[in-house]
Amino acid sequence: MSKIGVGSVLTAFLAASCFAQNPHYQPDPEWRPPTQAQTRENPLAARPELAAGGRKLFVRNCAECHGRDGAGLEKKHSADLQLPVVQQESDGALFWKITNGNAKRGMPSFSKIPELQRWQIVLYVRTLEPSPGLVPKANHQ
Amino acid sequence: MKSILTVFLSLLLLQVSAGAQESPFFITYTHHMGEPGNLDLEVSTTNGIPRSGQNAYIAPYVELEYGVTARWTSELYLEGQSTSGDSSVFTGWRWENRYKVLGREHWINPVLYLEYENLNEASRIQKEIEGGGPDLVSPNALLTPTHDHELEGKLILSSDYRDWNISENFSLAKNFSQSEGVEFGYAFGVSRPLATLASAHDCRLCRENFVLGAELYGGLGSTLDFGVHNTAHYFAPVISWALSDNSTLRLSPGFGLAHETNPVLLRFGYTYEVQGFAERVAKLFGRRP
Repeated sequence: MSKIGVGSVLTAFLAASCFAQNPHYQPDPEWRPPTQAQTRENPLAARPELAAGGRKLFVRNCAECHGRDGAGLEKKHSADLQLPVVQQESDGALFWKITNGNAKRGMPSFSKIPELQRWQIVLYVRTLEPSPGLVPKANHQ
Repeated sequence: MKSILTVFLSLLLLQVSAGAQESPFFITYTHHMGEPGNLDLEVSTTNGIPRSGQNAYIAPYVELEYGVTARWTSELYLEGQSTSGDSSVFTGWRWENRYKVLGREHWINPVLYLEYENLNEASRIQKEIEGGGPDLVSPNALLTPTHDHELEGKLILSSDYRDWNISENFSLAKNFSQSEGVEFGYAFGVSRPLATLASAHDCRLCRENFVLGAELYGGLGSTLDFGVHNTAHYFAPVISWALSDNSTLRLSPGFGLAHETNPVLLRFGYTYEVQGFAERVAKLFGRRP
């Protein structure tokens, strides 16, 4: 394939990624974990290798709404998990949000997933990084 | 039979990694609701192994479970039964709704359940047992003409403690077609996954894909005759196996604890989750979901 061809495919892919993510995501200000939940530590924090299992769980349970790269899907009005506003949350807060869901915004509770597996998902969410240049600046609140 | 097996095996083989960690229970409800916009298609059977004076039967049913919202799940059942040495009959339909009362997780999570049943007396799927349990002796020709229009309510209490789920259901049913009073029933269930950490690789036989548990359920008589005498009660170990990310196989041998029961009730269930069902339907009609 010529360089122009490769460039076109790459541009199309990046453009598709831009459209797939949710640039209009606004966090729900009322969806705040209690202080006790926010300060909980991830019992798997010392085992980063378990994030691989977390990725599998993420793809199974979360990717449908948040996308495989966690960037959120506009049609689902779901959160872009790569955003600093999400990544700045404590492990305990992310765990609480996965466990309780936010019915008001259509996110179900995932308490059916065993506790340690939910912590594995938190480990994986920590590895999500925005693709450079794809996230509009306005999202970095 | 061969074609059914072929379809079933094809479904198994076609599974791709898409998160079904379904509850293994057949009778007991937990507070875990269907995911909004997803449709669960379930095919199950209740197979009665008879004691003397009873006939063996297979009672298949199809269940369509739809997550209306994150707190509201609605289900439609179509059911039938086939009794050895007798006949095969369609026994009716049910429409149930479950509503999770509290938005967040608590020690005990209450769910309210309301169901309308349009069945005949030949129904044997035994999705719940109220009053004294079903008639397992009379022939279908005698049972099918008697129609029941029943309204059933349940209080579902469910707790997740570490990796255990402990659920208690209390039910009451009013049959508007006959004067049976209000009938009562109960179900208790405990379950736990075999492994609580997920491996990095996709695997079908890993321990994390299996959930084990046990149920105890039965009838408590009615307002006319309250109590456990002349009622049916079962103890049933349960196991579920997540065949893939969107399908689950469940099995439960139930053991009758009273003379009014079958000695053994074998239950099988296969669930396939259609993710984004609402979206697909909306797209079909050219609408935005």
